[in-house]
Formats: sequence, structure tokens, C-alpha cells
Amino acid sequence: MSDVATDTVLRVDGIHSYYGSIHALKGVTLEVRTGEIVTLIGSNGAGKSTTLRSINGLIHPRRGRITFLGKDITNTAAHHVVGMGISQSPEGRRLFPRMSVTENLEMGAFQRTDKANFKEDMERVFTLFPRLAERRSQKAGTMSGGEQQMCAIGRALMARPKLLMLDEPSLGLAPIFVERIFETVIEINRQGTAILLVEQNALMALDVASRGYVLETGTVALEGPADRLKADEQVRKLYLGEG
Amino acid sequence: MTSADTAETIVKARRAAIGPATAVALGLIALLIVWLAVNFEKSPALFVKAFLIGITNGSVYALVALGYTLVYGILELINFAHGDVFMLGGMMSATFLVSIFHLGSDPSAVYLWPALFASLAISIVFCGVLNASIERIAYRPLRKAPRLAPLITAIAMSFILQNVAIAWKGPNYISLPINILPHGVVFSIGRNTYTWDALIVVLLTVPVLVALVWLVQYTKRGKAMRATAQDREAAAMMGIDVNRTISFTFLIAGGLAGAAGLIYAIYFTSIRFDQGFQLGLFAFTAAVLGGIGNLPGAVLGALFIGLVQSFNNTLGWHAPGSDWTQSIVFSILILILVFRPEGILGERTPEGG
Ligand SMILES: Nc1ncnc2c1ncn2[C@@H]1O[C@H](COP(=O)(O)OP(=O)(O)OP(=O)(O)O)[C@@H](O)[C@H]1O
Ligand SMILES: [Mg+2]
Repeated sequence: MSDVATDTVLRVDGIHSYYGSIHALKGVTLEVRTGEIVTLIGSNGAGKSTTLRSINGLIHPRRGRITFLGKDITNTAAHHVVGMGISQSPEGRRLFPRMSVTENLEMGAFQRTDKANFKEDMERVFTLFPRLAERRSQKAGTMSGGEQQMCAIGRALMARPKLLMLDEPSLGLAPIFVERIFETVIEINRQGTAILLVEQNALMALDVASRGYVLETGTVALEGPADRLKADEQVRKLYLGEG
Repeated sequence: MTSADTAETIVKARRAAIGPATAVALGLIALLIVWLAVNFEKSPALFVKAFLIGITNGSVYALVALGYTLVYGILELINFAHGDVFMLGGMMSATFLVSIFHLGSDPSAVYLWPALFASLAISIVFCGVLNASIERIAYRPLRKAPRLAPLITAIAMSFILQNVAIAWKGPNYISLPINILPHGVVFSIGRNTYTWDALIVVLLTVPVLVALVWLVQYTKRGKAMRATAQDREAAAMMGIDVNRTISFTFLIAGGLAGAAGLIYAIYFTSIRFDQGFQLGLFAFTAAVLGGIGNLPGAVLGALFIGLVQSFNNTLGWHAPGSDWTQSIVFSILILILVFRPEGILGERTPEGG
């Protein structure tokens, strides 16, 4: 374990995160390697979003360590984390409701200084989500849930992340949109971005991921290759709706 | 029941729901229009003069109102010290114009403009830095405290600044020479004239307002301000330094107050330690009227308050007169807070603030 593999993108090492006196994460350890899609599943309140928030620097763990591409980012402020290559499409989307789609995408690229590639990336997002292109000057807050979700993912992509974190991208979406989002996740990953995917829809998540972690009340209860988790009796019963 | 019946019931119910308040409001507006119309009929020239004075005063209020609205938009804090920052800007300007540039005693037009612009720049920088420092020292440590805490701190800050002004300039009016600005006639309507000093106020204010809109709407800093105002955490996630953006907002708000301070000093030519409080309340009313957090709303609200004041002070037929100005303005504030707290231009959304 002490030998850090050269292809490790993100390593979360026994972190304990709190909200005031609420002990939300009790020693979470996980890893994302180059080119991987890793999924984080678990029931409500297990600590999935808190894990992403800790990685993102929105809250800082009191114990444990987070390293990204070999750098310790445990206590790095959120606004520096993006610049290092981690972006997130957060739970609840968190778009800027009174800004247009284009402005929201611009905000995603806030840290970047390369004007030249900026247009190209905007086009890439519009190619992934043609729906957004039609709505580019609409206020984000007035769009449908599915459109907002696309915008949130697009905004996270605008940072050109090395690691993209998606918190429940399929939440509240019609099945046809969910399918589209998952296809897009695979497409983004194929273009070279490592992905950490939090999902309620465990079945689909385990379908696209190469590995997965099952979180239970702030600790990792189970981990392994996606197909092994899919075959696990416990997982089938609790998260795949069988039993 | 037929569907037509149902529809009628719904319409009636709706009418009943908005009944009394709307009726009273419409009645007041009708009365106001009649009063204005009769005044216009009796003396069009006086009416136009009052209108122009109102716009001039209103544009000074607009600069201050924008500061309230900018800060409220980003922190949901009513910065009660804002009016006092404006007042200190006025005192600073008075000092520079009179004691250092000796305007008034040397009424040469060549010298006027460089001295004005230098004082304007000094006042803007001084008030901007002062306001940003207040945020850093007094409000930021309370960022996570209950909302009442920074509000009370803001009131305390207001008293501190007023006492600083008393210690610096004393409790009495300090006056500037009235001939700082040229009082030549720009144009006249009947016996009433519009003079250069009033025009200069408008000419100084408009570019500042345009620059602010450009800054907030189109620059990267401005977009960071808007993003932070709409969702602070999401802004941080985008790589926006939230603390720096808030400091910058206070800097800009203070700068606007500084510009207003200079303009007030040269136009009204006297200033006292408690005038930030008075004008601040007018400007705050303007900001609430336009929908606090809404920039164009603040400007329109300020012009409206300016007009209310000048019509009330100037018009000849049944105007309550200047003794009543404050009561009228604060009645407007109370009516708005009770019946339409989101302001005239504000949106009725939970996050609209
Ligand atoms: N802002 C907060 N203040 C206090 N407690 C919080 C806060 N956010 C989350 N928690 C608590 O931390 C624990 C983990 O929450 P978290 O949001 O990480 O769960 P989750 O796995 O993402 O759940 P869900 O599937 O419902 O999104 C929960 O017990 C929750 O109540
Ligand atoms: Mg969650």
C-alpha cells in the first residue's frame, strides 16, 4: 500500500470529515487511476456527497490525507483545487440561475487563461449536448431539470479536468435522459478524463464503471471490480433492488 | 356548476385576495397623478425645474444606493455603515478641494477640472479602501454567525465612523465656497433656469453608472461577483476566490460612495457628520424600492426618491413642503417593506433575494 502506483490520479486516505459535531466520514479510503471510471454507491446519508466535497476542498477533513497527482490537497482551498485539475458537477446541480447557459459554461472555465481553446471546448460541450446549444442564451434557472443537469456537466467539463466528479447526474431525469447522460460519461472518459461517479442508480453505475466502492454510514463497506460488486449478494439485495 | 361558473369564482377569489392593498395603492397613485397634473397645469416651468432638480439629486442617491444593493446582493447584509463611508468621502473631498487645491478662492476654469478629477480619484480610492477594510475587519469574522450579528456590527460601525468625523471636523456643518462650480445658465424655461452646477453633477454621475454596468455585466471580475452572489459555494467550485470577490465588491461599493461624496460636497457645498445617515436612509429606501440586489432597480429607485423630494419641496400647489420629505420617504419605505418587499423590479423568487 505504501508503494504509490504511478498511474494513481486521486488517492483518498482514511479521511474523517465533520459538519460541526456530526461525524460524516469515518475513515474513507479510495483511489482513482488513470483512465478509470470509478463509482461510489451507497444509501442516503452514507457520505457520498461529503466525500466529493472533501476532495473538492469545500470542507477539509480533520484526519486523513487526500493526494491528487502526487500533491497533497487535503487542506487546499476549493478555488485552488479546480486549477489543479479536479472539477465537479455537484449534487443539486448548483448552476448560477440568473446567468445564461453560455455564462455558466464560462464560469466553468474561470481558472483557465487559454482563450484559444476556450471556444473549442464550448463547441465540444455543445456537441455532447446539442440541447444546450439551442438554449445558450437562456437563463439557467429557467431550464428543465434535464437541461440543467447537462449544463452542470458541461460546466464541469469546461475546466478541462483530469478528474471529473459527478454527483448523481441521473437524479430526477427521464430514462431517456439518463441513458444519454451515461453515454456521455463514457464518451468523456474515452477522451481521456478519469471519472468518479456517485450514483443512486447503482445498476447503471456499475455497468459503466471499472471499479466501485460501497459506502455505508461514513465508511467503505465493500470495494472491488464492478462486475464482482454486481454479483455480490449483499449489493444485489441492498442497492440493486433485488431480494 | 359549469366551468364558466368555476372560472368566475376563481376570478372573484383572486380579486378579493389582492383587493384592499391594491385598491389603496391604486388610489394613492391616482391622487399623485392628479396632484402632479394640476401642478404642471398651474406652472409648467416650475414643474420642469423641480423635475430637473429631482433627477440631479436622484443621481447622487443612485451612486449610494448602488453600494447598498451591491453589498446586499453578495452578502445579504444591509451595510448600515455605507452612508457614513459616503459622508467621510464628502469630508475628504472638502478638505482636498478647499485646503489643498484652494478652489473657490481661485475661480479659474482651467484649474477647476484637474482639481475636481484629482479629488474625485482620491475620494473614490479612500472610500473604496475604507469600505473593503470594514468588511475585512468587522464583517468577515462574522460570516458564519447568525444574520443579526453582522447587522448589529454594521450599525456599530456606522456610529464609529460618525464619531471619527466629529473628532476630525467637529460637530458643525463644514461649508465649501458656493462658487466652486460655475453657476452659469445652461438653459432657461420662463424665469426658471437650469445651471451648470446641476448639469456637472449629472455629467459626473452618468459615466460612473455606465462604467459600473460594464464592470458587472461584461468583465471577468463582474461575472465572478454575480456568480458569488448567486451561489457562493458553486462559485468557489469554479475557482473563484470568494473572499477576494467580496472584498472587491466592497471596494467598488465604497468607490461609488466616494464619488457620491465628492459630488455631494461640490453641489450642496456643506456637509456634516450625520449626513451619511440621512442620505444613507434615502438611498437605502431607493435600493429597497428598486428591489434590493437589483442594479438598474437601485438607479430607478434613486431617481424616483430624488423626484419625490424635489416635487415635494418645490411645487407650489398643495405640496407638503420640505419638512415632510423625510416622513414621506420613510412612509414609502414602510409601504414597500410591508406590501412588496421584493421591490418594484425584484422577482418574487426565493433566491431572488
Ligand atoms: N450541511 C450539513 N450539515 C450537517 N450535516 C450534514 C450536512 N450535509 C450532510 N450532512 C450529514 O452528513 C451525512 C452524509 O451526508 P451526504 O450528503 O454526504 O450523504 P450522501 O451519501 O450524499 O446521501 P444522498 O444519497 O442522500 O445524497 C448525513 O448524515 C447528513 O445528514
Ligand atoms: Mg449526496
